[in-house]
Amino acid sequence: MLMSASAYRELQANPYRPWPARITSIMDLTEHEKLFELRIIDNEVREAFKFDSGQFVELSIFGVGEAPISISSAPSKQGFIELCVRNAGDVTGALHRKQCGDVVGLRGPFGRGFPFSEMKGHDVLLVAGGLGIAPLKSLINHIHDDRHDFGKVTILYGARNPDEVLFRYQFDMWKHRDDFDLKLTVDEADDTWTDGVGRVTGLFEELDIDPSVTYGAICGPPVMYRYVIDEMREKKMDVDKIYVSFERRMKCGIGKCGHCGVGHQYACVDGPVFNYWEAMNLQEAI
Amino acid sequence: MFFRVMDKERVPELVSGLSESFELFGPVAKGEKFVLDRIEDPAELRLDFDTTLLPPKKLFFPPEDQMMRFRVADNEVLDDEVFAAPRMIFGLHPCDINALMLMDNVFTGDYEDPYYTARRASTMIVGVSCVPTESCFCNAWGTDEVHWGFDVFLTDIGDRYFVSVHSVKGAELLDQHVVTREITDEDTAAFQERTRAFKSSFTEELDTAQLPLLLDAKFDDKLWDELGERCLSCGACSMVCPTCYCFDVKDRLAADGKTGVRVRTWDSCQFSEFAEVAHGDNFRASRASRVKYRYYHKQWGYLSKFERVLCVGCGRCAKACLAGISPREVVKALEKGGEC
Ligand SMILES: Cc1cc2nc3c(=O)[nH]c(=O)nc-3n(C[C@H](O)[C@H](O)[C@H](O)COP(=O)(O)OP(=O)(O)OC[C@H]3O[C@@H](n4cnc5c(N)ncnc54)[C@H](O)[C@@H]3O)c2cc1C
Ligand code: FES
Repeated sequence: MLMSASAYRELQANPYRPWPARITSIMDLTEHEKLFELRIIDNEVREAFKFDSGQFVELSIFGVGEAPISISSAPSKQGFIELCVRNAGDVTGALHRKQCGDVVGLRGPFGRGFPFSEMKGHDVLLVAGGLGIAPLKSLINHIHDDRHDFGKVTILYGARNPDEVLFRYQFDMWKHRDDFDLKLTVDEADDTWTDGVGRVTGLFEELDIDPSVTYGAICGPPVMYRYVIDEMREKKMDVDKIYVSFERRMKCGIGKCGHCGVGHQYACVDGPVFNYWEAMNLQEAI
Repeated sequence: MFFRVMDKERVPELVSGLSESFELFGPVAKGEKFVLDRIEDPAELRLDFDTTLLPPKKLFFPPEDQMMRFRVADNEVLDDEVFAAPRMIFGLHPCDINALMLMDNVFTGDYEDPYYTARRASTMIVGVSCVPTESCFCNAWGTDEVHWGFDVFLTDIGDRYFVSVHSVKGAELLDQHVVTREITDEDTAAFQERTRAFKSSFTEELDTAQLPLLLDAKFDDKLWDELGERCLSCGACSMVCPTCYCFDVKDRLAADGKTGVRVRTWDSCQFSEFAEVAHGDNFRASRASRVKYRYYHKQWGYLSKFERVLCVGCGRCAKACLAGISPREVVKALEKGGEC
């Protein structure tokens, strides 16, 4: 059972009330990003908390506020979630000041994630820019844990510079695997960098994909979508097999506060993941 | 539905009876205008009102609403209960009753909003018929009529009301507090006659053909730029709107910094930071895009989910707009082309 709308109804829980969750691990990723492992304290709720890659939680720090954050860990790992958080303001800043063992609040999981079961049996091409790797990391690890169900898996990830590459410890190891085709690129390289230099779209040139069996997933800064989609269309991928995840301002996460409107939809409940055919029909989306 | 007839002069006795068991709200005069307020004395109730400055949403979804009290140290919720006393609103027009039903769609559904629904469940509604004013265009959306969403509805047929009784509770209260009688053929004829007269008294029939599709087809129309030039982004339209439900959420700390309250406040898609995200990206940075979004969401976004437009034609926003933007004119400009 997905701990989403139906479970909230069943538990008759107030969907605005955060579940207390304990920080059980903190890892510095870059100067601005940390990876937090969180465990919901209530046993029953923790066990009911099931999610899809691409879904998000509302992270709640009382006295400061709430912020929507994608779940970075895979649904195949239960009992905890990981959040990869950039210190971007009030709530994320307050989280960055927390210590292991501290308690914060979580609401969710919310929204519509990537169609994992639909993607099964196909090739996948995942494209991330910057912090956009956060939700895709969940999908990547989920695919990893279910690797035999997928064909070719290609991951393109672009960051501004080597210091901003997230999850580098994992990706450095994966570069040598033959079951994942991982390509990294940075806008500005330094002496340590041995991978690509330039925009993530530059990685498409040498790509060999079979568009008839390939699902695409994209997450990154707003400006990136247009260019990456053009490349995917150039490779003749189907519009309804390309998935995009949108960041919009969100206050409630449950379709009430109106902040996340994108075209005629709400990113929090109708998205944040949309297929490109849907997204093309959303005004001002891309 | 069943019907009774009540003499108009019996309203005060009904109202004072009801005020014994309910916190009673209704239209009262404020200067030249009317507001929805507590009724302490039955004589204050003005069933001849045109429209109230603020719509009834304020009683279900207050401008500032406490969601929960919290403790900072362990991030615990201290309480998130909603105290909802038994209340009655006496005197809502069909547009405002329809508006509440449109709000219900948003605040119920997959995730039930406990604050709104608790107040809704504890509030009875007595509707009253109206006379269209210059600014009314409820006839464009069919919200000039209301068939449910009330406990009792009073239709003015001269010296008496034709009373539609919808709920058991409404029937019981009528029984308890006032003398009514059975309807006669003459009463029903008067009821039909008044409805015909009402329908023909609107100043115009708005053409709304294919409006949702037109909003997409004319998404880049220069009309929006013109409106963007005029709009002041003050958000008054959203505040007075009976169907605008957007909100912001804030935490307020107590003086000692140890506890606090999480509150939600009315917000507006017309405010410049409404769709802004971290790193300065703003999905609707221009005024034109924000004015357009208000129409786009009301006439298409909401409709795509609930098959109704999110407007009841009450005309409040047109009156509140300092730049003189009226939805009626915007719809006309969209349908016919040209300025508004
Ligand atoms: C679906 C989704 C998933 C996300 N996933 C991640 C993630 O995995 N990791 C991560 O680090 N960030 C993620 N974000 C972004 C994160 O929510 C924002 O950076 C958020 O503003 C941080 O809140 P804050 O209180 O720290 O910043 P604030 O102090 O609130 O604000 C900083 C800036 O963000 C804007 N802003 C304010 N409120 C919001 C809001 N609710 N949503 C968006 N912008 C806002 C403000 O206008 C301001 O310019 C995600 C956002 C969404 C919508
Ligand atoms: S975040 Fe509130 S409606 Fe989407």
